[in-house]
Amino acid sequence: MMKYLFMRQLNKQRLCCLSLVFLLLIYLPFASIYQNYTAAHAYDLLNSEEKFLYDVMQTLTEPLVNDPVQLDALKGTTWSARIGAYKISDPLAVVSQSSASKSWDTSFALTALVPLLVSLLAGRIFCGWICPATLLYELNTNFALFLNKLGVPIHRWDFDRRLKYAVLILGTLVTMLSGLMILPAIYPPAIVGREIYYVIALDGFSISTIFFVLTLMADTFVAKRGFCRYLCPGGALYSLLGRYRLLRIQRKVSICNDCQRCDSICEFGLHPMSDQFGQECNNCTACIATCPANSLQFHWTPVDQPYQGPGHQGRQYIAANTELIATDARRSCSG
Amino acid sequence: MLLVPLRAAHAVSQKITRRYLRPPGSLKEVDFLTACIRCGQCGEVCPNRCIKYFGFDEGVSMKDTPYIVPRVKACILCMKCGDICPTGAIQPVQRLAEHIIANVDMGKARVDENLCLSFQGKTCGVCYRACPLPDIAIRVGMLEQPHVLDQCVGCGLCERSCIQLPQAIKVIPAHTRLG
Repeated sequence: MMKYLFMRQLNKQRLCCLSLVFLLLIYLPFASIYQNYTAAHAYDLLNSEEKFLYDVMQTLTEPLVNDPVQLDALKGTTWSARIGAYKISDPLAVVSQSSASKSWDTSFALTALVPLLVSLLAGRIFCGWICPATLLYELNTNFALFLNKLGVPIHRWDFDRRLKYAVLILGTLVTMLSGLMILPAIYPPAIVGREIYYVIALDGFSISTIFFVLTLMADTFVAKRGFCRYLCPGGALYSLLGRYRLLRIQRKVSICNDCQRCDSICEFGLHPMSDQFGQECNNCTACIATCPANSLQFHWTPVDQPYQGPGHQGRQYIAANTELIATDARRSCSG
Repeated sequence: MLLVPLRAAHAVSQKITRRYLRPPGSLKEVDFLTACIRCGQCGEVCPNRCIKYFGFDEGVSMKDTPYIVPRVKACILCMKCGDICPTGAIQPVQRLAEHIIANVDMGKARVDENLCLSFQGKTCGVCYRACPLPDIAIRVGMLEQPHVLDQCVGCGLCERSCIQLPQAIKVIPAHTRLG
């Protein structure tokens, strides 16, 4: 039972994780401005708003570092960052850089090693747990529901998921042929990280914001999480890397009660109740959190289960729910 | 393949017209554009906040790449951007005069003697005082008349400090150099 309780909390922890990453992306440009002020020893020359920023940042960072220069330890965005002495980059950055320059830079490729290994282990975990665009897209999903309640017509069209692999391959080919670095310009997490920095520390939004807002609108009115599902080149790369991942959510058919909550909550339009996860699942654990029978759990296994048929508690959900969890608790305690 | 001539034409027009500097230690312009992953860390780590980023106006190839306009804010050669660059588009260079002279080539300053006050008989010498490599990159003669030497790395602090308008000393970026 403890294990279930822990897994059911994972979705909340994931939202905390996403929010933390987003807050860090907002904090870092302010830290950069603060470091600029301290490097210039310019406190007396600042105007009142700048002084306010200085004071806030000083209060925030003083317990952590002796000298503001030490704030250099954490820099960057989710696209590429420096944490202490380690540099960490998105695997898509390595793909686009090596295809644009048509050469292989090992020291740069090694910065993507940790994300690569984590993706091999857990698939699209970056998409679900770290990507700053995911937070906005998920909030946007709720916003679309709200609009729908108000009577605004929204669509939930389905397209072919393989479209995003075409985007990845086409993007890489165009990069290779022309030398233009186009993948960072259409990859939402890179855009969000950069734009937050531009808005806070530099002149303001660039044209990428318009592109990102268009993807948000497409998600609202055309297809739920459409960009992540059908177009995102990074999502395509992570999906490919996670094809034979070891950490998977699986359904325990003996206690599944066919309620279909998991199918309806899945942001990526997968069908946990029909054992269809595939390489697309981003381990967001929303299905685990919503399952009333605790039948969905993480397992260490390289393949998904084939369709196991309807749950054995079928159509007894409303009457048997409380008893079911109780039986299940007894079973897991004794086992 | 359609994009290749477009890009070539674009590169040529950029080369002739735009006057901007890349951060210190950057690769040659063509290599730089394909090596930079547009992560924006160089600007974030710059203590002088002189590194800005191109928008869409300069074309797709330049979007989100870093640049410095010395008249607005010049580079202080702290070499932090090379340290943080993950791809080596900005090469790491040790912050020592001999390393900087050997490896940094942002451009080279040029004095317009028709504009320079010292050449008009009014002793100025501000550019010499602003230079981080005095007597290596720039030396002064009679009436503080500045003479740029071959070892100038093009940080632009002289252009930033020049009291003439338009500036009598300007940095000619490395990527606009022929050959």
